[in-house]
Amino acid sequence: MNELLGTIDKPNVVESSCFLEGKEVTTSSFTKANRHYETVARQTFSYIFLNVGKHKSKHNEAHLEIGDKRLSGFLLKANRVLVCLSEKETNISDVRAHIQQVQHLIAKAEVERMLA
Amino acid sequence: MKDYKILFTGSVCSGKTTAIRSVSDIETLDTDAQASDVTVRRKKNTTIVMDYGVLDLNTETRVHLYGTPGQERFRFMWDMLTSEFAHDAIGMVLLVDNTRKDPFRDIRFYAKAFGDYLRKRRLIIAVTHSDVEPNPDYNRYLSELKDLGVMSTVMFVDARDPRAILGVIEELISAVERDIDWDQVRDRLLDINGFSLDFYKPLYEETLLDAAMNKRGVLGAMHIGEGQDLLCSNIDDASIKSLLLNINRLTDAISEKASFLGAVNNVVIAGPKVDTLSVFNDQNQSLCLKSDKDISLPVLKQQAGDLLQWSIDNDYLA
Repeated sequence: MNELLGTIDKPNVVESSCFLEGKEVTTSSFTKANRHYETVARQTFSYIFLNVGKHKSKHNEAHLEIGDKRLSGFLLKANRVLVCLSEKETNISDVRAHIQQVQHLIAKAEVERMLA
Repeated sequence: MKDYKILFTGSVCSGKTTAIRSVSDIETLDTDAQASDVTVRRKKNTTIVMDYGVLDLNTETRVHLYGTPGQERFRFMWDMLTSEFAHDAIGMVLLVDNTRKDPFRDIRFYAKAFGDYLRKRRLIIAVTHSDVEPNPDYNRYLSELKDLGVMSTVMFVDARDPRAILGVIEELISAVERDIDWDQVRDRLLDINGFSLDFYKPLYEETLLDAAMNKRGVLGAMHIGEGQDLLCSNIDDASIKSLLLNINRLTDAISEKASFLGAVNNVVIAGPKVDTLSVFNDQNQSLCLKSDKDISLPVLKQQAGDLLQWSIDNDYLA
């Protein structure tokens, strides 16, 4: 998983990333300096996707712009979210495109994790 | 011939184009285009490159007047004006629209944006539209500027009135030119340019929701005021409305608990086969939008920001 986060983190697109299981962080590349953003991401995305589920909505990504940063959460499956931290000015389309590019690696890692 | 330059800047609708036009001896160079954003609520055209006018103070002294576009997205023009066309200006006039919900926010913004430029020249704050909204008053400006540490002269002006704008120019030029007959210039301008209140007719017609619905890709909107007060909405779907209200509550909670990270500007939720839902915050209010999934988020963000800029005015303008 840590290797996967190394692939997800990409200069000028994704600064740090982590996986959430409910409100818990399972793997993270957030630095100590960015740990507050990780905490905000945990609270935000667990709340948003819980609400999305309650309303039977099909939204599977959420983006929160706070200060100079943006937190993007991609719902991988129920209760499991990939979080990416970017600069506010980073184009969301670039973040999306990058996550789509590494989607197969994420899927593979998820299967391996379940089998482990 | 001695040539002086003055740069006019300020927010959209603060009166830059009008001010330059009211004192120019030449047909001003306006680079207006039809406003594509919320400026349409206030006027139909907006400056996209720059304004330029010339004022002859006498046969030997001339002032070149440059105006920046108001919107930040034309910032490249601000840089071009300050580094090239008006790099040697004697001073800058910051026009502040007194009907803005927080005129001091504009002052902070422009003082910061033009910080380097202002280190070497005088700043005059020219407050406009005080006939529509008299507050904050002169004393409040002085007090706020003192708190902000901004060294500036404050003048309340009507941008349509050549006498008022000439007064601003006089404030800057008279320090270096002592032989100008300002009364004569004033009389001449009144003869030539006149002073008509029809010069600028603001269009205060649309409500925030109407304006939002006229934006590309917007399918529904909801305006939330201070304390989660639902001001108006045209989103009928109870489920979507509830989701947006919950997200808005979340942004408030995060803003409160993690204020050290900065304000929560917006939250957007999206998906491949669903409408995009977003919450945009601006001080004590939020604009929630339901929009087509194909609208790019930067466009949505820009539209929402522009809409919120004027929304406090909404109740009394409507």
